[in-house]
Amino acid sequence: MTSPGTRTPGSAALVRLVAAREVASRIRDKNFLISSAVILLLLLGVMAFQVAVSGGDGAARLAVVDDDGRLGPALEAQGEVVGVDVEVVDLPDQAAARDAVEAEEVDAALVGGTGPAPELVLVDRDPALEAVVGGAVSGLAVSDRLLEAGVDLQTLPEVAVTPIGDQGEDDGQRVVVAVIGVVVLYSLLILFAQFVAQGVVEEKASRVVELLLATMRPWQLLAGKILGLGLLGLGQIVVIGVVGVTGALAFDLVDVPGQLIGTVATVVAWFVLGYAFYACVFAVAASLVSRQEDLGSVLTPASMLLVVGFFVAVQAAGDPAGTLATVTSYVPGLSPLVMPVRQAAGEAAAWEVALAVVLMLVTIGLAVRLGGRVYAGALLRTSGRTRVREALRAERA
Amino acid sequence: MLEFDGLHKSYGGNRVLDGVSFAVAPGTMFGFCGSNGAGKTTTMRIAMGLARADAGEVRWQGRPLDQALRRRIGYMPEERGLYPKMRVGEQLAYFARLHGLDAGAATRAAEHWADRLGLGARRRSRVEELSLGNQQRVQLAAALVSRPEVLILDEPFSGLDPVGVDALAEALLEQVRGGVPVVFSSHQLDLVERLCDAVGILARGSMVAVGPVAELRRREAGGLLRVDVPDAPPGWAAGLPGVRVVAERAGDTLLELAPGTDDQAVLAAALRTGRVAHFARREPSLVELFREAVAEPAGEVAA
Repeated sequence: MTSPGTRTPGSAALVRLVAAREVASRIRDKNFLISSAVILLLLLGVMAFQVAVSGGDGAARLAVVDDDGRLGPALEAQGEVVGVDVEVVDLPDQAAARDAVEAEEVDAALVGGTGPAPELVLVDRDPALEAVVGGAVSGLAVSDRLLEAGVDLQTLPEVAVTPIGDQGEDDGQRVVVAVIGVVVLYSLLILFAQFVAQGVVEEKASRVVELLLATMRPWQLLAGKILGLGLLGLGQIVVIGVVGVTGALAFDLVDVPGQLIGTVATVVAWFVLGYAFYACVFAVAASLVSRQEDLGSVLTPASMLLVVGFFVAVQAAGDPAGTLATVTSYVPGLSPLVMPVRQAAGEAAAWEVALAVVLMLVTIGLAVRLGGRVYAGALLRTSGRTRVREALRAERA
Repeated sequence: MLEFDGLHKSYGGNRVLDGVSFAVAPGTMFGFCGSNGAGKTTTMRIAMGLARADAGEVRWQGRPLDQALRRRIGYMPEERGLYPKMRVGEQLAYFARLHGLDAGAATRAAEHWADRLGLGARRRSRVEELSLGNQQRVQLAAALVSRPEVLILDEPFSGLDPVGVDALAEALLEQVRGGVPVVFSSHQLDLVERLCDAVGILARGSMVAVGPVAELRRREAGGLLRVDVPDAPPGWAAGLPGVRVVAERAGDTLLELAPGTDDQAVLAAALRTGRVAHFARREPSLVELFREAVAEPAGEVAA
């Protein structure tokens, strides 16, 4: 009796079905939606904080009374030298200037700047602003006197600036991006590996795994689960990356957009490798227990590795060339968190990255092979906790 | 034919199945009985590939069951299993798809079986929100939704109320009429007796009785004769050749006849005592057959 509409699904079809179910059920899951929102909000919060911090010492508003047209540009030029953005507002008289300062419409008001008795009116003393104003006013006065004395100002030498540091500031920025990336990476790895583990236990605890395994092999179930959640995780990290890059560019937080995008892409790529490894390890560990309550104990070793990787990566941000960072950036399991930081800091040569990737791939291969066997053996043992050796034996029996 | 052929299985030193064999013809219902721990579940799990037999195999239409063939089997495990947070309709459609239906057919089949088993209104509920009885119906629907060629159901009736039992029985009979062989295990022997064309009784790892219920009864009925002679003196049958008195109470007598004993001679003796209110070969109920078959060695603890 072969009914119409029936065909035997192949491995790919089964894996796809399992993956689609994982995505469909997670995407409607409250925990998933909340955690996604929290991560995005945190990211936007960090950027808003950056804007607030860097905006505090920028754009000082300075009111000027009786400007003859030279004072404004001079103040702005002087501000640039000192590193303070100065916005000049022309006001008609002293009273209006005083009112503006009191109303905090401007940070300070300069009265009689080109006259013999210039006066700076402000609420609280502000050394930076005072220096800008003092410099601009005296500069103008000096050039006036010199002009009066007939000195040619065109021939004054200008200082050319040649930085010989290796773009230290750019790398610093990239490391900050990499650290934010590692925080996101770590959060998502933990989150999605947990999802995989919970899913495995849910199937064991609810015994639905018996029905599933009557239609497919354990590896197909495992592959579908890891792929489905992985795609979801990848989607999420890409969304976070896009939001982060767009936000950073929109808020003007970075100087070199190309490098930012490069670092974000590196983090995303390492997420794929890290996820493949941790998802597999978490799934296999989870297959050893039958109740969600027991999950914590079997996940601890793998979680510890992830936490260690996270802290080493944060440490590596401060000392990307150090021995700890260098060594751990090759260690499979740690490398997805540490290597992006070293890469961002420009401390990792191409061959080093390649070596770390290859080591990670080999480990993933081993985890899939060995883990798949443990998973297959442990999946149908629903009494208490299964030992790895028992699972391997059961798989062969 | 669905054939279980010489299944052996041991867990450690514990021999669970020791040569279990039986066959189920298409369009028949087979009741699988046995005490707790006799190995019914293990037998079914072997058929579904969830346990591996040490020896023996299960065949459908002459071919040993493999992953592809198993997809044509509707299975209901003893430990019920569904995704607790998944909605009924989606869950049924998912299982239908795993068994090879395409998306459209799976959705239609899920709808059909939800309606059919009285779950139409709960299609959008999560399984965990349903009563146990309704979860049981979903479980059955999950076994039926893929239009299976074979049904293997482990304790499908346990936990159902009488209305649920009737609905399930009707659904299974309909499958049988459609040519599907149905194997189910149950402790509700009255139900097995009512529904099944054949039964098998599993004890101590092997089938101690297999066959149509009527035939088993007749086979076992051979020796038992119930005679009700209200006026007879106590011990009236004690002297009859080839006859053993099993029980006697106020003339209502149960006799066991040795092979070859003429029951007409017993009738004549009974008539000599006066009125004969009842005289018949006594067919044992399935419960008695079961007790008889399972009883032998005392003190075995179910695993």
